Amino acid sequence: MTTGMDRFAALLTGKTPDRVPIVCNLLDQGAKEMGVSLKEYYSRGDLVAEGQLRMREKYGYDTLLGMFYSALEAEALGCRNIIYADDGPPNVGHLVIGSTGDIKKLCLPEDLGDNPRFREMTACIGLLKRESAGRWPVLGVVTASFSLPAMLMGIGPYMDLFLNGDTKLLDHLLTLCSQFCSRQIIALREAGADLIVYVNPVASATFITTSKFRELALPWVIRDLEHPGPAGVIFFNGGGKINPILADLKRHTGLGAFYLNPFDDIAEARSTLGPDALIAGAINDIRLIDWSPPEIDREVERLMQIGKQAGGFIFGTLLMPFSIPESNIRAMMSAAVRYGNYGSEGSCANQN
Amino acid sequence: MEAYLKSLFDTDKATALRIVQEALDNGLTPESVIFDVVVPGMEQMIGGMISDNLVTLSQHFLASQIAEEVTDRLIPLFASAPAIQGTVVIGTSFGDFHGLGKKIVTGCLRARMFKITDLGINVAPERFVEAALETGAEVIGVSSMMVHTATSDRGPKKVRQLLRDQGLEQKIRLIVGGAPYRFHENLYREVGADAWADTAANAPAAIAALVKEVRQ
Repeated sequence: MTTGMDRFAALLTGKTPDRVPIVCNLLDQGAKEMGVSLKEYYSRGDLVAEGQLRMREKYGYDTLLGMFYSALEAEALGCRNIIYADDGPPNVGHLVIGSTGDIKKLCLPEDLGDNPRFREMTACIGLLKRESAGRWPVLGVVTASFSLPAMLMGIGPYMDLFLNGDTKLLDHLLTLCSQFCSRQIIALREAGADLIVYVNPVASATFITTSKFRELALPWVIRDLEHPGPAGVIFFNGGGKINPILADLKRHTGLGAFYLNPFDDIAEARSTLGPDALIAGAINDIRLIDWSPPEIDREVERLMQIGKQAGGFIFGTLLMPFSIPESNIRAMMSAAVRYGNYGSEGSCANQN
Repeated sequence: MEAYLKSLFDTDKATALRIVQEALDNGLTPESVIFDVVVPGMEQMIGGMISDNLVTLSQHFLASQIAEEVTDRLIPLFASAPAIQGTVVIGTSFGDFHGLGKKIVTGCLRARMFKITDLGINVAPERFVEAALETGAEVIGVSSMMVHTATSDRGPKKVRQLLRDQGLEQKIRLIVGGAPYRFHENLYREVGADAWADTAANAPAAIAALVKEVRQ
């Protein structure tokens, strides 16, 4: 049986797997799968692990996602109010940094495990690792230091700070966020994460120019990865375009895998990165809400053709909205398995 | 003008504000500073970036922030009160705490002489309609950065329903904006909006068209 781990291992050693590995980022859907509210779901690592395992089994994709929700990181840094919805991810309802004075007061937790929710998440990763038994890579997710302040102080005030504000204050804030990010990467690996998804939307070309990326964001990517090391870390766009910053990331960070935005050009990314880096191409998963199965089929085929030609290719989604019908998830998976097949180049005993 | 544009491209607020001050010191009227420098600067910058496919949110943010700050400071110095282009109530949809897009749009609208009531973030649909009636707004603008807050029954759909139930659809138009609409160009219709704007720079024209419909 060919497993997700086999497929990723093949890519990482420069070989061709039986088919393109598929990353399907279903998160909140796990609560529906388990028949509980999102609030209850995210209160227990065992529920999330079971939800993730069931969804992977149901749809047949190649990874297990050991993540709760992004706002958990703000919680670990002092956010006192998380807002739950019935049909979407929990939101930050209290800003840890309400004024510049709060930046000076910001403290990192002595031990990440002191936070009950973080403890549940690492327990979830441990369960996924155990149940996977080496068949499906377990993904851990961290927010990059350059993007984390958006959840702590709001994106507008943060943009104001990094574009126009006190550089010493900014440096202090990002130093703390970078330490937090590095510690998280290490903790998630210790819990059992095989791959770390490093989410950095504010550093993307959607948010800042390439010159500002070099000046403001890139040094912090380097700093975040300095201690834990970049092995097995995937740079995730977080919803923003990243092709314009790929060359700098490749040259300066040691990262070997990059998750593109649906509007990034896959062939251009390959040309920029050269033959060795892995590229994940994402489908526009918001359109999965109401595309018809034939439309989904055509879009998956298009992406797979470009991706297979580019090589070193992973098929992925962004963070799939709750309202995507199950039938459309199945249509996407069915097309991804069909069009992702490399034929005689790989053994294809079992495509699940 | 060239130096002002460069400062916007470089997201260099201090230089942009210094150029505005120098223009005033050199005798340019407040009206001319806004309508001949700040507004066209913002629009040229964004127009140029769109054609180069290099638009960034930080450039939008800075251009609209400067436009709003300069406009607020200079309007009281106008020789005569400016003509209000329209009255708008704006906020993020219920359950949505992402205020950046709304803030950028607000800056663009203020610079274009729209009267804005900013209801903030996480706004209940009933509040949008109440505020529109209180202020005589012709347009309600709802910003959403997440799919579920754009499509939920407490988001723009409910605003539409309230307008319909209260017989206000001919008096008040509904426009939406935010990331989900950029990924899905027909979504605005599905949530019951009359229009959407893909960038903050396009919002004033889209809202002006809605105001015109209401006033006809």
